[in-house]
Amino acid sequence: MLRFILNRLFMALPTVLIVSITVFALIRFIPGDPAALMLGDMAQPEQIAEKRSELGLDKSMPEQFLIWGGNVLTGDFGLSIVSGEPVRELVVSHFAVSAQIVSVAVLLASLIAVPAGVIAAWRQNSLTDLALVGTATILLSIPTFWLGLLLLLFFGLKLGWLPVLGYVSIGDNLVGGLLYLVLPVMTLVIHEMGVLIRMARASTLEVLRLDYITHARAKGLSESAVLWKHAFKNAFGPTWTMIGLILGNLLGGIAVIETVFTIPGLGRLMVDSIFQRDYPVIQGCLLFVALSYVLVNLIVDLLYPLFDPRVVAE
Amino acid sequence: MKTILLAGTMLASLAGTALARDIVVAQSSDLRSSNPGVNRDGNTDSIILHIVEGLVGYANNGEVKPLLAESVDMAPDGLSYTFKLRGDVKFHNDKPLKAEDVVWNWNRYMDPATKWTCLKDFDGNGAAHVTGIKAVDTSTVTITLEKPSAVFLGLMSRPECGYTGIISPDSVAADSTFDKPIGTGPFQWDEWKKGEYLHLAKFDGYVSPKNDGKPDGVVGSKRPLVDGIKFMVIPDASTVKAGLQSGVLDTAEISPDLIPEFKDSVTTQLIIARNNGKNLFYIQTRDPVLSKPAIRRAMARALDLDQLVAAASNGTGEANGSMISSDSVYYSDAQKKRLPYDLEAAKKELDASGYKGEPISIIANKRGNVPSFPAAVIAQAMLQQIGLNVQIEVLDYATQVDRRRSGNYQIISQSVTPRLDPALMYSFYVGDKNTNASLMWDDPKARDLMKAAYAEIDPKKRQAIFDAFHELMMQEMPGIFLYDMVDVWGATKALKGQPVWQSNARLWEVSVGD
Repeated sequence: MLRFILNRLFMALPTVLIVSITVFALIRFIPGDPAALMLGDMAQPEQIAEKRSELGLDKSMPEQFLIWGGNVLTGDFGLSIVSGEPVRELVVSHFAVSAQIVSVAVLLASLIAVPAGVIAAWRQNSLTDLALVGTATILLSIPTFWLGLLLLLFFGLKLGWLPVLGYVSIGDNLVGGLLYLVLPVMTLVIHEMGVLIRMARASTLEVLRLDYITHARAKGLSESAVLWKHAFKNAFGPTWTMIGLILGNLLGGIAVIETVFTIPGLGRLMVDSIFQRDYPVIQGCLLFVALSYVLVNLIVDLLYPLFDPRVVAE
Repeated sequence: MKTILLAGTMLASLAGTALARDIVVAQSSDLRSSNPGVNRDGNTDSIILHIVEGLVGYANNGEVKPLLAESVDMAPDGLSYTFKLRGDVKFHNDKPLKAEDVVWNWNRYMDPATKWTCLKDFDGNGAAHVTGIKAVDTSTVTITLEKPSAVFLGLMSRPECGYTGIISPDSVAADSTFDKPIGTGPFQWDEWKKGEYLHLAKFDGYVSPKNDGKPDGVVGSKRPLVDGIKFMVIPDASTVKAGLQSGVLDTAEISPDLIPEFKDSVTTQLIIARNNGKNLFYIQTRDPVLSKPAIRRAMARALDLDQLVAAASNGTGEANGSMISSDSVYYSDAQKKRLPYDLEAAKKELDASGYKGEPISIIANKRGNVPSFPAAVIAQAMLQQIGLNVQIEVLDYATQVDRRRSGNYQIISQSVTPRLDPALMYSFYVGDKNTNASLMWDDPKARDLMKAAYAEIDPKKRQAIFDAFHELMMQEMPGIFLYDMVDVWGATKALKGQPVWQSNARLWEVSVGD
């Protein structure tokens, strides 16, 4: 097991290196000078040149990369060009906020969508199946920002049940913090349910056609026993992989939700940094996202044998 | 369920949001730094404005008036300024303002280690070389200049300089690092939750400068009428709208698209305020096609400015072809002149210029609070009427800045933030393109006039310079000025007062009802 983990982590190194180089180069190819943006429109060329030198942007790109890469290896991700804060602290504090929302949302979406997908497969071609598949397709088609705004207007503005904007950390106030999370979590749950219902349905259908299911039925087992004890375990594998992918994807990519609900998460930090050409923060964020993606998928793989004993982590 | 949620919402409000009599205002980005004039942007200036005050400050009409000073006396030769300090000013730590505090502040600003944005304006590389500062007594400060400068006081009062705000030396920690701004403004530093909000508390010991009972720029009456201000970071315009409609926000800048909705709303009000910023078409006078003044003049004549402005500003703006704002004391009758809308004359001038249908590109961005894109679209249609082959290139703002800085453009649909002294506004456009490619106009006569505007102290002579400048601009047309920028804000009906000035939140003399 330990060897498997180390192997996987070792295999992730090239991924992280390629991500680092690509991000580092791409962000510098985008026109826009952080020094000019920082100093505003009254700045003289020599002031901008001075600022570029102060930020180390006057050095060649390979030189900049080596300095940054060397520092990253020692755990120093540099300072934000805009705020002067350490990037590592910025990324970790914003990631914690995103992770709260994403983990709760993915858990809830899985708890609702997976049984729904299994039931849709079990009742294939029935009205229930049609309703569930139809709902899933609609949920998949709704853009998250639009859904978020609708929920915000309905529950926040029209009904007045939930706070419209702002954010309170759960650490500061448990009840208040949870209330601020309801709408963003609800938006993500609704959206991700679409994918998971379809995935769970497809993999269950595949399993339900196998001989051992027919055999179980022939033995006289009840439909619920066939479905949940025999079919579900095997059908859940692909869905579990999908849950891992969604989790990894969302951990670095809910900028739209965070912008609509004014949540200071990692996605918003990344988008703001791109607009401000805050290179160290963009690099730090994307490297962190890549690492979390690798880790989430590693955890998913390690847990896979729990659902499918045929798979062994070796 | 509903009861639980409502109770929860109330708890959340008590725990995480403002107190009942705070004003809650949205800003699109967080404070960059609490150190005045060091690491800043427009939103940072808005916050700092409430905490610190300079010796002088701008009034509504662009004049510079005493603020922390009781009086400002310029020596007849223009080489020294004597500031007599007011006796009723206290810092937020209750220590009285003294002349030595002013000297300490100035020396701190001029120390390169502070990284003051405006250092180059005063250190001999800019328009006002300060050669010395001295505390004459506990309430008098004298500043000496190398040569007379008409813009010395105006430069000090600029938002970019952090208003050259005077802070208590206690703002800096023992290890010389900046701690927090302890200023003299109507509100004091309270709490900053980075990425979420910043809270300022009312300063009970605040005394306004001499005034006629009304707010006037950053001078005038400046009473804090609420317990505090909460600046919330909300980048999304739709969320701002929901916040205003729900009453969570008291006021904020809104998208101009929302003007009709806010105008007719029973719960919210619309606030329109003109400022000294400019919306214009910034033209590259070294471009092979646009280097001919005749083409630029033809373009100006082909634009029905009144129609263009009405459409681009959603009916809130008024055409102004001058670099000088309509609210400036220098906005004379001469400044009101502009090339008349005349398609026939435009076509004739275009034909005479030898234009052969070469493509002309207008760079625009789609930021919601500026008319860059709509103005470009309307202009494109108007310019095509006389046979100009105009295209629009949409870029993000950072890329647009880059293109302007490098001089790599033909026309940019641009908005320029307010500068209250016309000479300072000119400096955005005029100068030597060989040393600063971002400048628009390097005509030698224009550069001479700008230099004269920087040096001339007499207001009448300055007016003559500005008028001559405008005449020259109409001949050369290095850029087409459209209208003064307009701040479009929304507020709840409970808000009383004017919450915006020159694109900055200005929340003194503003209250919220129950």
